[in-house]
Amino acid sequence: MAVYIFKRILGLMVVIFLVLTIAFVIVRLAPGDPAALMLGPEASAEDAALLRTQLGLDRPILVQYLTFVFNAVQGDLGNSIFFNQPVTQVLLGRAEPTIFLSLFSLLIALVIATPVGIYAAYRRGSWLDQGAISTAMLAASIPSFWTGLMFQRYLATELGWFPASGYGGPDAGFWVRMGHLALPSIVLGIVNSALIIRFTRASMLDILGEDYIRTARSKGMGERRVILRHALKNAAIPIITVVGLTFALLVSGAVVTERVFNIPGMGNLIVSAVLRRDYPVIQGTLIVVATLYVLINLATDLLYLLVDKRVKY
Amino acid sequence: MAASSTQDASFIDLLFSRRNVLIAAILFVIIAVLCLAAPIVAPADPFKMSVRARLTEPGAQFWLGADAFGRDVASRLLYAGRVSLTIGLGVAAFSSLIGIVIGLLAGFFRRLDAPMSRLIDAMMAFPDILLAIALVSILGGSMVNVMIALSIVYAPRIARIVRASTLVIRELPYVEAARALGSSTWTIMTTHVLRNILSPIIVQATFIFAYAMLAEAGLSFLGVGVDPATPTWGTMINEGRQYIDQAAFLIVFPGLAISASVLSLQLIGDGLRDALDPRLAKDL
Amino acid sequence: MKLLPNNTRPALLALLASAALAVPATAQTKLDIAIVGEADTFDPMMSTKDVVSIVTQHFVETLYTFDENWGVAPLLATELPTISDDGLTYTIGIREGITFHDGSTMDSADVVASLERWKTQSPRGKGVADKIASITATGPFEVTIQMSTPYSPLLSLLAFSNSAAAVYPSEILAETIENVVGTGPYMIAEHVPDQYLQLKRFDAYVSRSEPSSGGAGARKQLADEIRFIPVPDPNTRVEGLLSGQFDFADGLPSESFARIEASDVADPMLLRPFGWPIFAINHKAGLLTDLKTRQALQAALPIDDMLFAAFGDDNFFVVDGPMYPEGWTWRNDAGVDKYNQNDQAKAADLLKETGYDGTPLRILTSRQYEFHFKMAEVAKVALEAAGFAVEMNVVDWATLGQQRNDPALWDIYITHSPFLPEPALTDLYTSSSRLGWAEPEKDAIVAQFTVETDQAKRQELFAQLQQKLYDDVGFIKIGGFNALNGIRQGLTGVTATPWPFFWNASK
Repeated sequence: MAVYIFKRILGLMVVIFLVLTIAFVIVRLAPGDPAALMLGPEASAEDAALLRTQLGLDRPILVQYLTFVFNAVQGDLGNSIFFNQPVTQVLLGRAEPTIFLSLFSLLIALVIATPVGIYAAYRRGSWLDQGAISTAMLAASIPSFWTGLMFQRYLATELGWFPASGYGGPDAGFWVRMGHLALPSIVLGIVNSALIIRFTRASMLDILGEDYIRTARSKGMGERRVILRHALKNAAIPIITVVGLTFALLVSGAVVTERVFNIPGMGNLIVSAVLRRDYPVIQGTLIVVATLYVLINLATDLLYLLVDKRVKY
Repeated sequence: MAASSTQDASFIDLLFSRRNVLIAAILFVIIAVLCLAAPIVAPADPFKMSVRARLTEPGAQFWLGADAFGRDVASRLLYAGRVSLTIGLGVAAFSSLIGIVIGLLAGFFRRLDAPMSRLIDAMMAFPDILLAIALVSILGGSMVNVMIALSIVYAPRIARIVRASTLVIRELPYVEAARALGSSTWTIMTTHVLRNILSPIIVQATFIFAYAMLAEAGLSFLGVGVDPATPTWGTMINEGRQYIDQAAFLIVFPGLAISASVLSLQLIGDGLRDALDPRLAKDL
Repeated sequence: MKLLPNNTRPALLALLASAALAVPATAQTKLDIAIVGEADTFDPMMSTKDVVSIVTQHFVETLYTFDENWGVAPLLATELPTISDDGLTYTIGIREGITFHDGSTMDSADVVASLERWKTQSPRGKGVADKIASITATGPFEVTIQMSTPYSPLLSLLAFSNSAAAVYPSEILAETIENVVGTGPYMIAEHVPDQYLQLKRFDAYVSRSEPSSGGAGARKQLADEIRFIPVPDPNTRVEGLLSGQFDFADGLPSESFARIEASDVADPMLLRPFGWPIFAINHKAGLLTDLKTRQALQAALPIDDMLFAAFGDDNFFVVDGPMYPEGWTWRNDAGVDKYNQNDQAKAADLLKETGYDGTPLRILTSRQYEFHFKMAEVAKVALEAAGFAVEMNVVDWATLGQQRNDPALWDIYITHSPFLPEPALTDLYTSSSRLGWAEPEKDAIVAQFTVETDQAKRQELFAQLQQKLYDDVGFIKIGGFNALNGIRQGLTGVTATPWPFFWNASK
């Protein structure tokens, strides 16, 4: 097992290295002079030349690349053009809302979706199963910004049940800030429930087909007890998997949801960065999010090891 | 080919044995045909403005209302559908193509496997929308560029499936036999492997078709999508958004169009998966 | 394994409970102001962006400012300057006992150093640098500006909050100022990018004693705190205003007027007239360097439809040719018979005379301002009817800002401007602007206009300039439009201006 973990970590480092490379290439593909683009319309040619030197853009591309990787590995993602601050600092300032938004929406999704998924599997083929699956699919077919706009309009502005947007003011305490995340979390939670319902159902069907369940049934154990005693025990695995899988979905969802509700998170940041041509921030966000994804995947795989003794490597 | 006509018949039966798949297929065909036939069936010129009739409610003159320029929403919906569906289909096709090439190379040539697989892993580490936003911001917002960006985003999914299947298939006895008989790698890949991996690719491509349409709408909403002069369902919602109070129909109809198309595609994808390979039915 | 993790339920309940308590009640008056975006700098000297002006005027001040009738009035200066008869020497008295936020005292050395920086580095200051001979401290609280030629717009420039001639302590002056220190009624307490800028009352502020009028007169510092919250999405600003989250919201879509009016939380605040949308024309290169082609463009534009599509409601725009609205001293009717012809047949004839070869007319626009895009869409249809091939290039605002500097990339770009108190503040009239509109007679009028000090003569010269603008199609004014802001019911002391300020606001 130690060898397996070592191998995984080695593989992970290669992937992170590739992530860095892809992010570097994407930003370098941008047409035109990055310096002129960064400085904007009022800048003179001299200013642009100066910035090119400062950014090291006048050096050979390979040197630039190596410097970039070297700095990134040390946690230096360069400076934001717009904020004139280190990208890492800008990103850290946006981490809280995105992390909690993801967490809450994941919780909401799990609360809705796990029981529904399990029940649908248990009653496979019934109208209830069909209904659950169709509803889940419908939820996954509606653009999340559409849902967000509607909820914001009716639940927040009209009925006043939730704050309409933002993340509280300067003196907003923790719970006030979390309150601002309530409605966005619900929107994102609904979208993600769709995936989790389908996944839980599929996993449960797998488990219900396993030998020991059949054995339990043949022993005359009641269906309800079979489900509760045996099947649910094994549902930990799909839930762990879902957490890993939905991460990417959550971040994607957060981009749109944060935009609708004007939440100052990382998703909002990258869209603003695109509109402001703040390439170091675009690059940095890509790197951080992708690295997090890779780490979470590793963590879920390692959790498997702990939870499920049957998995062999 | 493996599939004879009788197998085709049973496949169709199997596919449509689930009523919701049948309904979805019919719905999707109707949407697609209406959009394709837009020049014939559209009640008006989608670009003709009558500014004084802006935001007219749905009625006799404008079946589905008029937008902020007094353009006919019904006609625009049909023309926009052509673009949205083209983007979805194009992305499904492009990403399959890229994915197949990468997957085959990784699956067939041991030396390429490790780097290609890591590359696939790295690509998949970027959340869809994030990568698409970054790519579109660099390529510029046009229909073709949005298609390219989304194809790059979704190609790794196909590549992963193709690679996994290729690894299994190339060890199968008859492929080994073909190799022993001196068939070239190229022939083996195209005739044996491709034929066998066609079903999972078709299933995955159907889902990508659906996701790409949603992603296009999302990009348009964020203001980093197709240039706004081109009507797509996404740009229509984005434009209509400002009039959510006076003319909610402006975002309701394109929203319905997207949701109906995406939903039917997902149902079809599900049905295809079950019909093509029951073993896959329990996967995601 | 339980169905739910133990901690889920309480967390959710807390979540819902806290949502209900989202608005804290405190004794202090705090104003939450939703603005259209993040200010990229707090140094108003270096920026011409409206959002920068709106925010920074609360903590950075200038020698002069504008009163409610757009007359120049003293702010850090004691009174309006003494100007020598030849119009070359401005003697400016500086108020004593003014403290900067860092505790230091303002004197003429600070003012001279700040004006020097303005002259050499700020976008608008650079424009007058060649007309200023010297800026000297002629006493501890007196500054003298010596001009090399008379320049009548100087006072307006010194009063303008946009590329402002701001006064900083001389110690902090540098190419870029990291931490802005001013003399304003509020000072920066905390800035969290993209979240808020928190301003607190500056206790050592010494207000002017005259009654408040526009930016002039007493600045009462009624609120304890002002928070500027960047909310880029217009709809989100509307929703936030209507749900009681904001005390004021800037730049709202005209479509939301009825809803705000019907609301019992907020009221609409119409700024009438706000400004004028502009089709800027490329005189340096391309299709529109030809006068007849420009006249064809002028003839073809369906102004009514463009404005109606852009603003949707007759309350929000006015089809009006003169460069200044009713009631302004600059208003005149010269040349306006060429405004709003909406005659595509005439345009087609003109175009035919030029031997037009179908080269596309490139319109550069963005959706940062939705009405720009809408006007372009309507114009496109009419121009095509007149025989033009039209190519729309819709980019984001940052890209537009960059591309418009390259004459090879566009024929028309779309922008807008508030009605500025002094025509010379609009650089489009000058041949040195990025439009490159050069015409000998017009240039002579402009030159004369900037040195003339007699108001009646300046008005006459401006009428000639307006005539030239229409005859030579320098650029196209599309019309006048109003801006919509939203204000919480019960909030008083906020006046409608393109750059709203809140030092006299209370609720």
